[in-house]
Amino acid sequence: MAVTTSTPPDTQEPAAPPEPRRQKRSAANVWLGVVAWIVGIAFFFPVFWMVLTSFKQETDAYTTTPKIIFEPTLEQYEGVFSAGVGPYLVNSVIATVFSTLLVLLLGIPAAFAVSLRPVKKTQDVLFFFISTKMLPVVAVIVPIYVVVNQIGMLDNIWTLVVLYTGMNLPIAVWMMRSFFLEVPGELLEQASIDGAPLWRTLREIVLPIISPGIFATALICVIFAWNEFFFAVNLTAANAGTVPVFLVGFITSEGLYWAQLSAAATMAALPVVIAGWVAQNKLVQGLSFGAVK
Amino acid sequence: MTATLEERPAAPENAGGKPAIDKAEGWRRRGPLLPALIFTIIVTQIPFILTLYYSLQSWNLVRPGSQEFVWFSNYGDVFADSQFRTVALNTVIMTLGSVLIAVVLGLLLALLLNRQFAGRGIVRTLLITPFLITPVAAALLWKTVLLDPTLGLINFVLTPFGGSGTEWISQFPLASVMAALIWQWTPFMMLLLLAGLQSMPTDQLEAARVDGASAWSTFRELTLPHLRRFIELGVVLGTIYLVNIFDQVYMMTQGGPGVASANLPFYIYQRAFLGFDIGQSAAMGVVVVILTLIAANFALRLIFRSFSGEQEAA
Amino acid sequence: MAEVVFDQASRIYTPGAKPAVDRLDLTVADGDLVVLVGPSGSGKSTALRMLAGLEPIDAGSVRIDGRDVVDVPSKDRDIAMVFQNYALYPSKTVAENMAFPLKMRGMDKDERAQRVRQAAEMLGLTEYLDRKPKALSGGQRQRVAMGRAIVREPQVFLMDEPLSNLDAKMRVQTRAQIAEMQNRLEVSTVYVTHDQVEAMTMGDKVAVLANGQLQQYATPPELYDRPKNAFVAGFIGSPAMNLLDLPRSSSGVTLGGVEIPLPRDVSDAAGSRDKLTIGIRPEDWVLESTDADSSTVVKAVVDVVEELGSESYLYAHLADDTSTSVVVRGPGRVKVRFGDPIAVRPNPDALHVFDAETGERLP
Repeated sequence: MAVTTSTPPDTQEPAAPPEPRRQKRSAANVWLGVVAWIVGIAFFFPVFWMVLTSFKQETDAYTTTPKIIFEPTLEQYEGVFSAGVGPYLVNSVIATVFSTLLVLLLGIPAAFAVSLRPVKKTQDVLFFFISTKMLPVVAVIVPIYVVVNQIGMLDNIWTLVVLYTGMNLPIAVWMMRSFFLEVPGELLEQASIDGAPLWRTLREIVLPIISPGIFATALICVIFAWNEFFFAVNLTAANAGTVPVFLVGFITSEGLYWAQLSAAATMAALPVVIAGWVAQNKLVQGLSFGAVK
Repeated sequence: MTATLEERPAAPENAGGKPAIDKAEGWRRRGPLLPALIFTIIVTQIPFILTLYYSLQSWNLVRPGSQEFVWFSNYGDVFADSQFRTVALNTVIMTLGSVLIAVVLGLLLALLLNRQFAGRGIVRTLLITPFLITPVAAALLWKTVLLDPTLGLINFVLTPFGGSGTEWISQFPLASVMAALIWQWTPFMMLLLLAGLQSMPTDQLEAARVDGASAWSTFRELTLPHLRRFIELGVVLGTIYLVNIFDQVYMMTQGGPGVASANLPFYIYQRAFLGFDIGQSAAMGVVVVILTLIAANFALRLIFRSFSGEQEAA
Repeated sequence: MAEVVFDQASRIYTPGAKPAVDRLDLTVADGDLVVLVGPSGSGKSTALRMLAGLEPIDAGSVRIDGRDVVDVPSKDRDIAMVFQNYALYPSKTVAENMAFPLKMRGMDKDERAQRVRQAAEMLGLTEYLDRKPKALSGGQRQRVAMGRAIVREPQVFLMDEPLSNLDAKMRVQTRAQIAEMQNRLEVSTVYVTHDQVEAMTMGDKVAVLANGQLQQYATPPELYDRPKNAFVAGFIGSPAMNLLDLPRSSSGVTLGGVEIPLPRDVSDAAGSRDKLTIGIRPEDWVLESTDADSSTVVKAVVDVVEELGSESYLYAHLADDTSTSVVVRGPGRVKVRFGDPIAVRPNPDALHVFDAETGERLP
């Protein structure tokens, strides 16, 4: 069914089932729940340790027996800032925000065109988009470097904005297409009978339905753009470097200062971790080009 | 599906228009698509055509004026390069090994998380965090905090078992990189397979319970076949993303010692940006594309299958 | 208010293939409620959507109030439609949903509010005006969809299976409400359903469609009493009419060794055909004593008894021809059960006779 109507609210919640019979089942569930918690904590532990270390003094961080109890300090974060992370953060923000805006600007109309008003070649276009994601970046880095060098755009943040847009656009089109397709066709027909012009239908009826999807798409673009390293390391230097590039330079110079490294890594990872937590329900939909909901 | 819906064509393209969309309408419909299409062609396709062109040239950036047309000799050099063969093999091991292990672990985690227990949402959030961490930061984390021979957590945990002092990164470079990759990609597989498990129609499971199937046979006879599509999709998507891995290799081992842990993206990077050999790195890029095309062929088919399945449902 | 005319209207999805709607001729008189009914794939929804402007009219024409609307977009046809899934705008409240078509037509705010208030009162929605659709029950949503159609005061209402998402009790209740409201507003209405009970109870006239073609267009009693062909005969009525292919005899046809005489005009029309399709409604059998002479009654064996309280239906097969089954209406509290013999005789005045090949009614 294209259209689903959720159950009316006046249906009563079923009464709680009688307890005793479920005991055996829930005992197993409790144990497996404990296992799940242990595994979850194990997976998360390195991240936790990184954050913890970032609040340590170097002497507390650099011990053969890991220290859990220590006096927390913000010194390491100050150190990262005085090492000059500022401009790199600004570059990362510019690259991420502008590429994401550009993706939405180009992608929303495209997704609309391929989903709600398809023409004959629509499928070909869709598969062209997806095929570009399968083209390895290494196969294009050489000419991109040569061309960018020739037009004098090396070490320029707008170069990254353009490349990140190209990198994220196919994913965004596919993902938003799947959200557009969830809009019931009857609604659009009703709107056309009601006499709403196309742009009003889009703004007043379609957009409110798909805006959570667009938001999730934007977050996924943010994650990819913020984390991108290959283009950044090859096409930028002192002026347009992003946070991952800063991190690399920082390691080479501060190799032995674990606490400060942890602070830098935490700062690099924090924005996208939060974005990812918010978008976690739609992550798979984005990465699988909308094939999985 | 109810009776009346079946009468209608699935595609909404018949709504409110003539059967043959006239030319102006066709362009009006195509119009919104064009900016994105043109942009993507410029940013992704033109560089690739240039790669093809460069791959036929002998051109080293540090020797200006050295550019000349050499037909396929770059390709000959690439295949004669024994390091390239090692690196190609590394790439296959790294990609498929990480993907398969991540899928298996992801399946186990997905099965765990598909049950009701207290704090399930929190556990899921904890589990996906490794996937979100900036790869460069994650690699850094593995290289120092986890795998450092004297101060790393892994050796600390292994000390009681007499396993301390292992120089993970230099003794097992490829495995170390793969460990970091698996740690990052298992959560993705888990999310994908969890979505698969949750899309399983509950009436089927209930029917199996009524039919007296055991938990194991329900899993094998119903759940696994249902998950098959998701597992395949996970393998294919993981392959496509991981074949391009660069950050972890660059951060953790620089491909070393020698080329023991180098994969194709890293090797090409070395050739292009440390060796400045444009022609050869372009030729290697083309080879990678051909290899990827083989994998992508499967991917496209899989996604197309999901895609057309969805069309039927619409 | 207007007359709606389908004039040889056709919808052809793929040229060369069988049309989804094939040269439909239909006139909906001003103020009538006409039901399009048929099995799935019959073209009833497509026909409605052609009238709505959601499907193109590939051949022929459709006229509303004398105006050919083939090239008129939906919004200018002065129609309102109620969809199967109601198509309520999820981001708008009930009041906003109902006011939306008026707003799109540039009606000023006060008048909009007044019309919405009136419609809401009529439908008992006043207290829900500020709610979003997802906070309503199925029946309430259905009424909002109706309300949105009413406020428009259109020339024609179109309804596409508007009751199919309601539960059985709600459906019966809403059925009456719609019929009552339509009578009061006197707006011509085209109503699509696959449910023949809905069709018979609601329609001033009913159009039966199958395979894209109009089978019969008549009032409900006429459809029941004089079905134009075997398809309509089998489609209208529940349980369905018994349709039996029977060989001719000298004065009529034979069923299970019993001679059934046909009226003069029928047997004249039947001419020299050696086989006829005879239709007998379940209530047109007379139950006889099983002792009766087997040359005057048909002997059968009961398979299933459906006891409905006030009446019962006996599903049986002929004693000397197990492949022929019949449905017979009996009194309530009937004493027979599975395996019991019964004897029946068709009421000779209530026979429907069809050509065995074409299914057309004779005469």
